[in-house]
Amino acid sequence: MVKVNIGGMNTQEIKDLVDKFAEGKIEAKITSDISGVQEVAKGEADYYFGACATGGGGAISMAIAILGYSKCFTASMPGKPPRKEEIEKAVRDGKKAFGFTCDHVQLTVPMIVEAILEASSVK
Amino acid sequence: MSVIKIIVIAIAGALGSALANRGIAVYHDGLRPIIPELIEGRMKRVELATIAFGLSFGLVIGFGIPFSLTSSIILVHSLWLGTDIIGTWFPGSFEKGWMKDKKSMWGFIGSIVTGGAYGALLVVGLQAIVDLFEKLPINFFGSLGSLGDPIIYAFAIFPAVAVAMQFGIKKGLITFALTVLARQIASAAGLSSADGIALAVGVLVLMGFAIADKPKGEKKSEQSMQALFTERANRIKKNLPYIAVMGAVYGVACNLALMMEGPQSITALAAGDRAAATSITVARAISFIPLKAMTSLTSGVFAMDGFGFVATAGLLSPNWIVAAIAGAAVMSLEAYSLVFIGKLLDNFPGVRNAADNIRTSMTKLLEVATLVGSMIAANTMAPGLGFLVVAGAYVLNEITGTRIVRMAIGPIAAIFTGILINVLAVVGLYTPAA
Repeated sequence: MVKVNIGGMNTQEIKDLVDKFAEGKIEAKITSDISGVQEVAKGEADYYFGACATGGGGAISMAIAILGYSKCFTASMPGKPPRKEEIEKAVRDGKKAFGFTCDHVQLTVPMIVEAILEASSVK
Repeated sequence: MSVIKIIVIAIAGALGSALANRGIAVYHDGLRPIIPELIEGRMKRVELATIAFGLSFGLVIGFGIPFSLTSSIILVHSLWLGTDIIGTWFPGSFEKGWMKDKKSMWGFIGSIVTGGAYGALLVVGLQAIVDLFEKLPINFFGSLGSLGDPIIYAFAIFPAVAVAMQFGIKKGLITFALTVLARQIASAAGLSSADGIALAVGVLVLMGFAIADKPKGEKKSEQSMQALFTERANRIKKNLPYIAVMGAVYGVACNLALMMEGPQSITALAAGDRAAATSITVARAISFIPLKAMTSLTSGVFAMDGFGFVATAGLLSPNWIVAAIAGAAVMSLEAYSLVFIGKLLDNFPGVRNAADNIRTSMTKLLEVATLVGSMIAANTMAPGLGFLVVAGAYVLNEITGTRIVRMAIGPIAAIFTGILINVLAVVGLYTPAA
């Protein structure tokens, strides 16, 4: 079972989307940004999702601080909707924390969920 | 007045670039945690500047400029997101102070000059656009003013929404009712700041719920984090003189209503409602404390505008001299309280969760309020047509992946409506109301 922690803004909306699109294959949990990211760092959870106004600000700032910038990926930004290929590549490259804008929650979360499920079924 | 505006904003821009160049403070909350990568030598300037550009440029264009344009006050985002880019781009090493080696000195001076020029150009450029609008055959700039009305009134309900998000609909409705009650009692008693009082009541109820809330399973930060926090906080304290100067400049800019911290307060201030703007700055600053404090504590880089209470101090000060002193004091105090706040947030995780919900609920309300305000404003310019254009633009933006920030699409569509009726009038397809 893949474990995903969710922090930042619009958390309930993100969790509902993960639950809907993961078809029971992902266990999603709403956490604070710090404890959520710390669990990922310790390997107790696999991924961290966060939304904020810019996709790279509050969303993944604690992830950048704790996991390092190279483990974080901004999937969408204001004016730049998420792209499926980029997200798939980010998952393949081993990115652990995904940030996106509140505007793009509905678009982005299903794409990341799909990419994660694909990657974990290949393994 | 205009000359003073150029000078103050240019100074704020020069200082902002300098602080970003030296890694003392940056405005963007997402850039802050990346700065240690540069300071500790894991990242190059070029890479950092590219990231800063990617994070900030869209926000300057899509968020900072539209609100600065419709209010004729500079929204801090349009200035300090730009100086984040400028400051990180110019060279500089962190081994010694900026005056100790030639490259760092040139980088520092270059940041100041470029940042100052950017600030001045921002003011002049925006003014030129406003002047251009006013020269059009049909002047629609006055109608744009009504754009902010719904925001000023609707904003007071955000604590109730945040309570509902975190503690369920029942408590949310109670807060909703208390907010409405407080507003109407204050209004019936003839108080001028009924909306501000309603907001204050809502925030107090929210804080009450949040402090009482102890979510289970939340772990406290580990000891190693605490040690890191103290070390990073000391770096910020060491830079206190620079931070205090920034506080002074920002305080003056807010006092003279040249610059404002957010889309809600800027709209209230542009409408001349200083009391509402003041209470909004307090609420916003509270909601940003956890984010700004935690990113500062983990990075050793402070927030360019502190937590945001400098804006409050600036608005409350009777004149610009008091505002300068108060601004410097408030910002220093914010920097000094970092470690204390870090510990406090550790003990009250409910408060930290509340802050995220506050920001979510503010954003959602703002999206609705700007859409409605933009529809009203556009319809004042062009009855019938205005509703059509703004509603159409909003939905079109939604179904094509929200390329324009949801909060900004309304104002942009309203401005477009104004330009459109001018074009239509020229070709004889639009007759302005007498």
